[in-house]
Amino acid sequence: MPSSTSSFDFVRPIPEQSWRGILLAVLLVTAVATVGWEIRARAWGYAPTLNDTTDLWAQRREAVRPDSLAIVGDSRPHFDLDLDVLEQGLGRRPIQLARDGSCAYPVLADLTNDESFHGTIICSLVPGMMIAPGGPLMANSEEILKRYHHWTLAQRSGHELGMRLEEHIAFLKEGELDLDALLAKIPLPPRAGTGHPPGPPYFGSLDRERRERMIDQCAQPGWLQDRVKHGWPALMTPPPPPSYVPKDVFMANMGKAVEQRFHDIAAAVAKLRARGGKLVFVRFPMGGELKKIEDLGTPRAGIWTRILKDSGAPGIYFEDFPELSAFTPPENSHLSAPDSVEFTKRLVPHLKKALAQ
Amino acid sequence: MLFNSLTFVVFFVVVVSAYWALRSWPARKNLLLVASYIFYGAWNPPFALLLFATTALDFFLGAQIASAQEPRARKAWMVASVTSNLSMLGFFKYGNFLLENTQWLLARCGIAYSPPHLDIFLPIGISFYTFHSLSYTLDVYRGVCQPTKSLRDFVLAVSFFPQLVAGPIVRAADFLPQLVAAPALRRGQFYWGLLLMTLGMFEKIVLADTMLSGAADAVFGYGGPLPALDAWAGVLAFSGQIFFDFAGYSTCAIGAALCLGFHLKDNFRFPYAAIGFSDFWRRWHISLSTFLRDFLYIPLGGNRSGPTRAAINLMIVMFIGGLWHGAAWTFVVWGLIHGVLLVIERLARAIGGDAPWTEALPVKLLLGLATYAGVCLTWVFFRATDFTTASRLVHAMVGLLPHGDPLLTTRALVKVGCVSAGLLVAHWSLRDTSVEAVVAKMPRWLVTTLWTLMLGAIILTQGNGNAFIYFQF
Repeated sequence: MPSSTSSFDFVRPIPEQSWRGILLAVLLVTAVATVGWEIRARAWGYAPTLNDTTDLWAQRREAVRPDSLAIVGDSRPHFDLDLDVLEQGLGRRPIQLARDGSCAYPVLADLTNDESFHGTIICSLVPGMMIAPGGPLMANSEEILKRYHHWTLAQRSGHELGMRLEEHIAFLKEGELDLDALLAKIPLPPRAGTGHPPGPPYFGSLDRERRERMIDQCAQPGWLQDRVKHGWPALMTPPPPPSYVPKDVFMANMGKAVEQRFHDIAAAVAKLRARGGKLVFVRFPMGGELKKIEDLGTPRAGIWTRILKDSGAPGIYFEDFPELSAFTPPENSHLSAPDSVEFTKRLVPHLKKALAQ
Repeated sequence: MLFNSLTFVVFFVVVVSAYWALRSWPARKNLLLVASYIFYGAWNPPFALLLFATTALDFFLGAQIASAQEPRARKAWMVASVTSNLSMLGFFKYGNFLLENTQWLLARCGIAYSPPHLDIFLPIGISFYTFHSLSYTLDVYRGVCQPTKSLRDFVLAVSFFPQLVAGPIVRAADFLPQLVAAPALRRGQFYWGLLLMTLGMFEKIVLADTMLSGAADAVFGYGGPLPALDAWAGVLAFSGQIFFDFAGYSTCAIGAALCLGFHLKDNFRFPYAAIGFSDFWRRWHISLSTFLRDFLYIPLGGNRSGPTRAAINLMIVMFIGGLWHGAAWTFVVWGLIHGVLLVIERLARAIGGDAPWTEALPVKLLLGLATYAGVCLTWVFFRATDFTTASRLVHAMVGLLPHGDPLLTTRALVKVGCVSAGLLVAHWSLRDTSVEAVVAKMPRWLVTTLWTLMLGAIILTQGNGNAFIYFQF
């Protein structure tokens, strides 16, 4: 009878090999290949920078205090606002919670539902993104919130270790130089009716406070700027309705969802204001073909006006002020790093005025 | 913490270094115990207390079973252990499921009842460690193993970090004897452990997460009709994903244990080369199927009371097996379909016997492919979140949907096709042998190349990875 005091009779077989030599060779070849890949990545123009992971966002969200100044929204405030300038101008170090390719509403709701929070929110309002009822934009926001609310000790330590590597290794670029992204670069014939427009390539660097800066290669005319610029129209065009839902039913459901979102945003703002908090909506600069698409698809008189009216919150629309509309986003959607500093300086007086209301 | 995380890499290097630096065996066991609780507590520290409480209770009950003189008393202590373990599992895992079904049942009887939704956070790996712990009291009761006198050893046996949260379900009777004396590393054991860990992580990070999960998520998350090609591709993707995910975890666990001097049994044996469903269950999640066989099927009477009773016993076992995986009727249906298939297979064998023609290679291949297709079809119920999705997918797979929206890109189809074909070829090539036997025959340069490629692919994949599918069970 096997017992806890008897010896165990199962022993796994170990293959006969020269294991020490094999492991040394594996480590040597892997090290050489890794260094070679790093050199290649740097030659392509990649530099070490943090990935905008859900962990990094969760870490910033945790830094929010009851009276914090938080930036919420999409990639535009992420690129266009300088944290140092905002701190000098508004007297508080802002916390950057904007996330590229996301809908601002879930994060806005999360902050306003936080009973302890009575600070200030600068919220970017890209109409088509703010009212997205579902899909990748919402999923993106829900993913970061889920991480924040269920952030484990193991994930925190993994994040700290990961940042130390990302700050020194250029090829650690999620969605750009990882295996999946590399496989996606293999040309294959498309299958009709499938696939999503590809996201933009790497064109910004990120620090631990999630301050994102456009890299010079994108700020200057060239292939990278062209590639980013030409990618926006497809990304900003809503996908067609699903074939399995009648169009009128789909449109009716969309209408209901949008109305609900208007109501939810107004309720969120009211909740924050009832606790003494403040919020200002901002429409950031855009240009070129992208501006035409957004103005046509979501004209100012529609969503922007309705949200401001329903919520009673102040709004700053860049086109209303010559000093804010004087900037030309190099790839039509975001400002270059130097321009973002100047833009923030010019925005501060407007923010002060709006928040004083 | 996850195996596929930087945290675990650092944790493992520190633990292994300290473990082999210590000379005293009790000190090493203490170190492993602390490390295991850190490993588990890194998810949610309070749940480590729950793990300890469960373990300590079974330690006490095991001693009571062993010391009881009367059979009735032994049985009572055993029932107490089963009840306490299953109650805890039932509360955390099945509480809301039971309430929802009670509500549904009462509504059918015309009684309006609105149960409160219990905001219960499921402790990770609870199904695994409950079975680890329960196997001890059951084996003591059966007289298969004697109780240990060391609480420390028993707590370590249950919480040993390589197998704690996602198996294999290592029985205390298999692990406790290994804690008696300090293990000695055999030649190459540490390196082989490292290679197995690399293989397991490659299966999880590269094959499951990078190559297959996207197609599986897209197809199972789609709300509309799909062409047969997309439906099959999504289901094949999930079939591969769940194998690489779970077998990858088990392989990592076996490798990590080897590096520490311990020996865990195989949990998978090339299941997609199974010929028949009974063969499949001898190759898939072996530690669970043997647990259910020894502690449920045989006590129910097994096949000792005739074919009808054996069929009922099989259905009961597969019902429980399905429910073990999750609190949803889709899992139950998955288990029951497997039960029906097992019963049909037994009937076929009883009628046809083991005719010589069934041993011909083409017949074996055909039967193997039919088994694989059947297993894939059952995965639909395992992965789908509801019966509507499952039904739509099954209809699409058998070509009963007239129209469908193409969903997967050429790239996704190629990825699923290549990995699935590679998986089947590998399983059929290895079905009657073992990885160890194959590696032993490989030239050194080939082992080096394969190991380097796997490590390189893991580094290229980047990121901290996703949780293993079986964690939720």
